[in-house]
Amino acid sequence: MSATQIAGRIAGVDAGAPIRQSSLWQDAWRRYLRNRGAVAAAAVFLLMVVWCVVTPIVSPHDPNEVDFASAYEGPSWSHPFGTDQFGRDLFTRAALGGRISIGIGFAATFAILGIGVVYGAISGFVGGALDNALMRFLDALYGLPYLPFAILALAIIGTVDFWTMVVALSIASWFITARVVRGQIITLKENDYVRAAKAVGVRWYGVLGRHLLPNTLGVLVITIFLELPGVILGEAFLSFLGLGISPPDASWGSMAQDGRDSYRAHPHIIVIPSLCIAALVLCANFIADGLRDALDPRTKET
Amino acid sequence: MAAYIIRRLIWTVPVVLLVILMTFGLMKQIEGNPFRQTERAVPAAVQANLERKYGNYVKGVATGDLGPSLVLRDRTVNDIVKEQFPNSIELGLLAFGWAVLLGVPAGVLAALKPNSRFDYGAMLFSNIGFALPNFLVATLLIYFVSVKWGLLPTSGWTTWQHKILPSFTLGLVPMAYFARLVRGTMLETLQQDYVRTARAKGLRRRRIVTVHVLRNSLIPVVTAAAPLLGYIITGSFIVENIFAVPGIGRYYVTAVSARDYSVVMGLTVLLSIIVIFANLVVDILYTVLDPRTREART
Amino acid sequence: MRLRTPLVLAAAAVAAVALVAAGCGGGSESQPAADGGKKAASQVLKMAWGAEPPSLDPGLATDTTSSNVLLNIMDPLVRLGDDLQPVPALAESWDVDGKTVTFHLRADGRWTNGDPVTAHDFEYSWKRTLDPKLAADYAYQLYGIVGAEEYNNAKPAQAAALRDKVGVKALDDRTLQVTLTSAQPWFVQQAAHHSFLPVHQQTVETHGAKWTEPGNIVTNGPFELEGWQHDASITLVKNADWRNADKVALDRVEGRIIVDGTTRVQAFEAGEVDLLDGGGLPPADMPRLKELPEYEKYPALGTYYYGFNLKNIPDENQRRAMAFAIDRQSIIDNVAQADQIPATGMVPKGIPGFEVIEQHFLPTTADLEKAKEFMAKAENPKKTITLFYNDSPGHKEIAVAVQAMWKELGIDTTIKSQEFAQFLEFLGPPPNNAVDVYRLGWIADYGDPMNFLELWTSQSGNNNSNFADPAYDRLIEKARNTPNDQQRYELYRQAEAMLTGPQGALPIAPIYWYTYTNLERESVKDTFHINPLDQFDLSKVVIREA
Repeated sequence: MSATQIAGRIAGVDAGAPIRQSSLWQDAWRRYLRNRGAVAAAAVFLLMVVWCVVTPIVSPHDPNEVDFASAYEGPSWSHPFGTDQFGRDLFTRAALGGRISIGIGFAATFAILGIGVVYGAISGFVGGALDNALMRFLDALYGLPYLPFAILALAIIGTVDFWTMVVALSIASWFITARVVRGQIITLKENDYVRAAKAVGVRWYGVLGRHLLPNTLGVLVITIFLELPGVILGEAFLSFLGLGISPPDASWGSMAQDGRDSYRAHPHIIVIPSLCIAALVLCANFIADGLRDALDPRTKET
Repeated sequence: MAAYIIRRLIWTVPVVLLVILMTFGLMKQIEGNPFRQTERAVPAAVQANLERKYGNYVKGVATGDLGPSLVLRDRTVNDIVKEQFPNSIELGLLAFGWAVLLGVPAGVLAALKPNSRFDYGAMLFSNIGFALPNFLVATLLIYFVSVKWGLLPTSGWTTWQHKILPSFTLGLVPMAYFARLVRGTMLETLQQDYVRTARAKGLRRRRIVTVHVLRNSLIPVVTAAAPLLGYIITGSFIVENIFAVPGIGRYYVTAVSARDYSVVMGLTVLLSIIVIFANLVVDILYTVLDPRTREART
Repeated sequence: MRLRTPLVLAAAAVAAVALVAAGCGGGSESQPAADGGKKAASQVLKMAWGAEPPSLDPGLATDTTSSNVLLNIMDPLVRLGDDLQPVPALAESWDVDGKTVTFHLRADGRWTNGDPVTAHDFEYSWKRTLDPKLAADYAYQLYGIVGAEEYNNAKPAQAAALRDKVGVKALDDRTLQVTLTSAQPWFVQQAAHHSFLPVHQQTVETHGAKWTEPGNIVTNGPFELEGWQHDASITLVKNADWRNADKVALDRVEGRIIVDGTTRVQAFEAGEVDLLDGGGLPPADMPRLKELPEYEKYPALGTYYYGFNLKNIPDENQRRAMAFAIDRQSIIDNVAQADQIPATGMVPKGIPGFEVIEQHFLPTTADLEKAKEFMAKAENPKKTITLFYNDSPGHKEIAVAVQAMWKELGIDTTIKSQEFAQFLEFLGPPPNNAVDVYRLGWIADYGDPMNFLELWTSQSGNNNSNFADPAYDRLIEKARNTPNDQQRYELYRQAEAMLTGPQGALPIAPIYWYTYTNLERESVKDTFHINPLDQFDLSKVVIREA
């Protein structure tokens, strides 16, 4: 057994009883900080979010102002990302697009989490035949591609805006989360302290609310950063297929679609939002890896 | 084992029925009908289709009849599927092939030489492949490889040269995924006690790798195959669009736009059935490969 | 995992991709100039079609791609020259006598199975298109014929009887007599439309819905349908038995179906195809494409317009304000970018009679002063507007531009897109209440202004503006019965004035008159041609030696 494992055991991370909760998080935090890659990714991520929030506020350019005289300019001091077909500043628009893309990303992710947690918690907690039924059901649905259902959902709702995107992206994407949550709950359920709590007479919602769910929090946080890239790419795909946010609002995906036709003469219009997406996806992946390493010390340092 | 399979099979039936129901319900909600001018008399057969009851539709699916297309008047959904689905399957299989061909060895080699330049390089490439949106990759590939250097055709799906770029583009994400996954699990396995024991006993590294490590590392590859199938289907919508591949992914979007209910339902049901059965196959394979799960699964 | 270094490398590589992509800017190599004149040894044309034809049944086809394939594998009664005057094709001559038009067919029309093409084929085909059971979207094209509309809307019980009352009759194998509802001088021109093509009765009855498949289809035109891989390719070969086969240069036409605009351009620039089908080039790439020697532009008869819902914007002063605020030339120069013509009326330039009909009220660029004046005169102007457009390429950008232009009037515009079929549903008529402004275009079916002006009668199924003016209806009805061109054009002028003149109700704000833009290799450029109705005749194309 390595030193890390022994240290882990002593810190009581296996038990996860409420008393130990804070030290679990502190440990995790410390471990995360030691992972320089993950820290860098988190920093970049935070920077991007700040950039998205702040830039439109301080920018001297109106992101929707049409000025054909300055159309298609390349990067310059006044327009760090250049301008698009309408002469609109891409730096500001990319930041605004980030607000929408990241916003949809988080909103959809939380929706996915919500559905997944409810499904997984019910299944794992109740157990028995219901669990069996729900899980068999889930097994079968497991790999269903979200895109056809997202397209259908958008077609039903009719117009595409922030919240309809969120709905479309989450209805068929929660299967993995549900399975993970259920797995967590089942593992934790067998713990002594939970049995003890039940024996003492704590109601099921108490057990769920005070013992089980808080301890799945770690897994959920990881899941957020695992689902985020998928949702953001999903929104980009839908925009690319023409089902994006209505103008003049734009997300990174719809900006990329706008830029595709003119990529020969003006590649920056498609490249910049695509790189923004890529950067965000990369950061989210690294953060997720870092969190996973931090929260589960049994995974070896590799 | 057999009991497990049968049980799983039985469960697929209600799931498929539910998927059909969901799709059916969803399609009915969509405003707009495929006929441009509503005062036009709708042919009786088509009208009957519009009002098809769920039960009749299920009966149709069970007998393999997915109904006529409401927009392409001379073709039925079965026609469309027969003609275009094989292309999508081929695209998907080729993409998967790229992923296994390049991704798995990359992961293995990276694991065998951890923290080397190769390791960094492979993981770098895999991260990029994962993160860059495929429409950008596709556009750039077509520009450089086809238009600028003239090495491969820009689009279409006739000769083998046509098939390289689209399948490669679609295979990038699974490739990246496999590389990371295989590397991760191999590293884990390499440090397991039984491997160390084998090395201590003096068994040659190669033997260890091939016999023990590979087998255990391939398990997650099999498990990952199911969600990756979902990605391949999703990605195909875009790739088929950009590369003009006559598959059903591309037609799906057109069909939803055109409110071609039959085609949309037929394709969604078809895709779902495939995924569901793929899951089944994967799960069975999983129990074969990893005996530990057999008890856990029952 | 020590990830920091790889993270930096990842960022660097991703940036490298950006730099590399930036290097894509710049034009393509230009093609060597063609000599012109000498016929190339290989007469195999590689082209790209912009869509999968939904149907190659003349009774069911409604879109341009189907139409163009059909017009090349079939022989219509007449074809249209550039001046849109009918030129004999299968009909060698015709007589017009008031409401009766008689076509005299050639003796040498042949179906590909050897049968002669007779007037009976035309009678059968036109009645079939009007058959309510077929539910043909384009049946209305034939409504100029007596009894056509009644038959098309007949209940099953009366259908058989009404069929016989339709005014098209084959007097003998070579004479087709058509009786119209009124003297419509443009009817012969209309007969060039694909809806008026003949079909081979036996083939249709034997194969049913599958009669258009390559193995079954029987045609009578300059080319035969050799292959049709759905969604992938259409292959035509020269019909050696066609009446004019010795004048046809092309041996084969290998057509790839490429739906995505950018992919089509890429295929062209990579040399995989030598001709596009005129379906349009991506507007955003236009500045670059216009500089290519292969670029070609054709005048078109079509109007791109924004329609107002008169119920929601009842004050014509506001409508005038909004129409005056649109900078048409700027939209053409900066957004649509295909050298279109700024539209000052519904009836497009190039149509016979245009010089008489043209109004000079709307400006070609914006007149913001006048617009604000009008706006000030408007009582209770609607300041929040929803604009709907269908989600095909190009419309979004124009909507964004107009949105900014209307902002100058203090109007806040929300833009919403829908896909086409749903969009048409939404527009009714009558249009959904949510619609304040909508985008539409109308391409001519035949070369007479009636085609454009009759859209605005109160009964028209294409009047999506809630515009109903009995005086206008009367005017159009009168024009329908005025066979003399000059007199009719004068009536048209009055009608156009009621729409877009100084006292006009302005149910629409026209934006531009269409052009067709295309890419054509030098080897075919001089013989390939698209007429103002978006039709092209491959039997005239010759591949020149490079």
